[in-house]
Amino acid sequence: MLDKSIQEIHEALKNKMIKPIDLVEEAFDRIEKNKELNAYITLNKEEAIKRAKELENKEVGNNLLFGLPIAVKDNIITKNLKTTCASHILENFIPIYNATVIEKINDNDMIIIGKTNMDEFAMGSSSRTSYFGAPKNPWNKEKISGGSSGGSATTIAAKDVLFALGTDTGGSIRQPASYTGIVGMKPTYGRVSRYGLVAFASSLDQIGPMTRNVYENALLLNIITGADEKDLTSADKESEDFTRLIGKDIKGMKIALPNYFMSDIVTKEIRTEVEKAKKILEENGATVDYIDMKYLDKVVILYQIISMGEASSNLARFDGIRYGYSIENPKNIEDLYLETRKNGFGKEVKRRIMVGSYLLSGENAKIYYNKALSIRDDIKKEFDKVFKNYDLIIGPTTTTTAYDLTDSMDDPSKSFMDDVLVIPVNMAGLPGLSLPIGFGKNHMPIGLHIIGNSFDESTIYQLASFLEKQVNLDLDPRKDDKNV
Amino acid sequence: MSNYIPTIGVEVHCELKTNTKIFSNSVNGYGQMANSLTNVIDLGYPGTLPTLNKEVINLAIKAALILNCKIRPKMHFDRKNYFYPDNPKNYQITQAETPIGYDGYVEIDIDGKKKKIEIEEMHIEEDTCKSTHRGTKTLLDFNRAGVPLIEIVTKPCMESGEEAKLYLEKLKELLFYSDVSDCKMEEGSMRADANVSIRKNISDPYGTKAEIKNIGSISNVKLSIEKEIERQAKLYDNGEIFLPQTRRFDDKLNDTVLMRVKETGNDYRYFPEPDIPYVYITEKQIAEVRKTIPMLPDERKEKYQSLGISEVNAKKLVQNRSLSDYLNEFLDEKIDFKTASNLLLGDISGYLNKNEQEIINTHLTKEKFIELTNNISDGTLTSKNIKEILDTVMESDKNIKEIIKETGIQNITDSSAITEMIKKIIKENPCSVADYKAGKDRAIKYLMGQIMKESKGSLNPKMAMDILLEELNK
Repeated sequence: MLDKSIQEIHEALKNKMIKPIDLVEEAFDRIEKNKELNAYITLNKEEAIKRAKELENKEVGNNLLFGLPIAVKDNIITKNLKTTCASHILENFIPIYNATVIEKINDNDMIIIGKTNMDEFAMGSSSRTSYFGAPKNPWNKEKISGGSSGGSATTIAAKDVLFALGTDTGGSIRQPASYTGIVGMKPTYGRVSRYGLVAFASSLDQIGPMTRNVYENALLLNIITGADEKDLTSADKESEDFTRLIGKDIKGMKIALPNYFMSDIVTKEIRTEVEKAKKILEENGATVDYIDMKYLDKVVILYQIISMGEASSNLARFDGIRYGYSIENPKNIEDLYLETRKNGFGKEVKRRIMVGSYLLSGENAKIYYNKALSIRDDIKKEFDKVFKNYDLIIGPTTTTTAYDLTDSMDDPSKSFMDDVLVIPVNMAGLPGLSLPIGFGKNHMPIGLHIIGNSFDESTIYQLASFLEKQVNLDLDPRKDDKNV
Repeated sequence: MSNYIPTIGVEVHCELKTNTKIFSNSVNGYGQMANSLTNVIDLGYPGTLPTLNKEVINLAIKAALILNCKIRPKMHFDRKNYFYPDNPKNYQITQAETPIGYDGYVEIDIDGKKKKIEIEEMHIEEDTCKSTHRGTKTLLDFNRAGVPLIEIVTKPCMESGEEAKLYLEKLKELLFYSDVSDCKMEEGSMRADANVSIRKNISDPYGTKAEIKNIGSISNVKLSIEKEIERQAKLYDNGEIFLPQTRRFDDKLNDTVLMRVKETGNDYRYFPEPDIPYVYITEKQIAEVRKTIPMLPDERKEKYQSLGISEVNAKKLVQNRSLSDYLNEFLDEKIDFKTASNLLLGDISGYLNKNEQEIINTHLTKEKFIELTNNISDGTLTSKNIKEILDTVMESDKNIKEIIKETGIQNITDSSAITEMIKKIIKENPCSVADYKAGKDRAIKYLMGQIMKESKGSLNPKMAMDILLEELNK
């Protein structure tokens, strides 16, 4: 049933051919079969079954998402359901509150199936910094799923469920989406409430939908957006139907393709696929212009300063006093802090806390952090300039396809360079989506990155769904010989 | 001990009188069961975010206006990062870069002269939780975590403990009167730190600074500064030097005690709080807040004295805000304010203290108070009468006329009757009369006493005095 279209599933539910429990059981069967992929940290079995049964007494109505299972990245707070951030320090943390997005998911009668694997505190780009081991790419189990939302990408790519939530601070939705051949959207900063998202870098973090196709992506975004009085950075925007432009013609659309995105930092096979997409767009009445944009090559370093600076402060609260892991019999308060944080955090997290603390230390705050913030405004202005003349910006999502799980993790800047093409979007607070457009060697998925103007997710979906139809890929790894 | 010039700056933390905390909707309350006024935001749970209580901004604007500060039209919050168990997020949300108020002053009277105590800046921040040390353990009460504070920092512009004391008294009076804060030092809703240094000549650079932390009362602020000046002077006199340090005032030792020598510049890794967008303050908002500022103590005193109330009474009234507020209701009435103030500060205060009541909770309506005052000033009621009827006045709905009637008070208001009585007293006391004629004023007092005794206090003393003098001078 879970391979059918959302409309078919909805009709079946409506006509009482199936019940929500059937979907939940099917999802758990699939997750069990795909256990090896390590997509989940915690499954919500009992509660999901209970919820599914409760929903049997409820009118299905016109809610296409009614009764559908959803996977949630494990840095989004779920009441009564363990939320670990893939860290030892929160290994047994059971919150007594819900993130705002979780409230919205519950209000829309979706069923949380489990909490997905990720990089520890979302710090990484291969999900290998997870305390619980890395998830595996369903297209090739030797490969990474990307990160930090690697578990959510994995479970969608493996067809366990139709819907997942990820979070994206510097590409953490779009990059794994690209590596696993799914659709991942990072909405405009402020579009989705961050209340209950365990903060990594507050000024960059954003929750977004990860799905098997564009339409379902827009459907999920429809229910998670909206101003939230609990999050002062959430935008005061009217709710809108993000599917409304899907299926519309793209004739006359003006699209920019920055030269930097097509430079030799990107592998040839990926550039070829982007060129193919460009051609399709042009054949269908859109114009695609190569343009020059300033700052794109400088963004990673600025991102590191801002994200690590904020992270060092955001993660200070994990001190072993009020919740989470705490060492036994500390000698004194200093000992409690040091030992709890030394044992509780993984290597990458500690590295970023230390670098971030240094960056904010004394005069450094002015030299680095404040300066990075001001250049960030310039980056935003650079994008604004482009959007005066163009509807959308496109480029590849990643520089390579997914690499081997065994590749070295010794170079700390590698994980940032993986995200060089997606980070500018976070820095400018813009929406961006990754859409599968082809395959590289060994049949690993390649994604196209579509960037929109602030709060213009709808136009991204319009173009994405158009291309999706045109390229018409078979995105089922189960049919891939090696993975049967 | 040689003479030195002390330089003193004072930092005051005041808890704002809001209904809820600054960054969450937990109740802002004192004296409740430990950790009963907390939620996941106050406790710094993962994923929680601050909201911003508008009441806090308005009260801070009010304080800034009262302290004659300039108000910043665009401001943000900053994170002050440090690890301490009373700091749930291990960062405190404060305003380091853009304090809401700056360049203000408070005026004090010192040695009969007015002096402006300059205020460097005033900013908003959250309070930490309260820690109680029990042996090797520390108990944490997060009820206080997230209570809104303003921190008011003066320039190093004071020269004595007395000045600091007068400044704090004035500050307290102002903030209390404007309902910005309770200003209860004993409950910690107002806390003061003093920075003290001394130097030989005004042209010398400032001396090494000692900060005296968390002083528990205004009188101790004065005392601790004086003790600290003395301590530093002795050191300098002996040719000793000392490092910048933090000290506290020990009540029992009656002296300051070293807490720690300051390390080279604390590194709080300040950066702009990304969870709270810029706050904009408009002229309109400032004007609205200005309207909520009540008449302040100095203005009240002036007003009272202009209405004929003595300086002593004016001061006393201002010290008792509920009485002062009560009296302010009548300022446009045509009554004898001297009598009114005596009544309020005398018998009425006595009643309120005895019964532990607030004046607004009694049955003393505006009409009754005016009637009472007028009855005293025209001689209808004597002070003895007041004592007799006050309980009824304060506790029943009856008007004064009814009460007088019921109590059966019949004062001698017939002047011929009074004259008869006085004539009798004069006749019976020829010695006193002779003394009076010889210029001994004491005699008058004695004769008046005899008259009041004879009348059993039922006549108006002023009237009696007039007649007595008239008769004696015949």
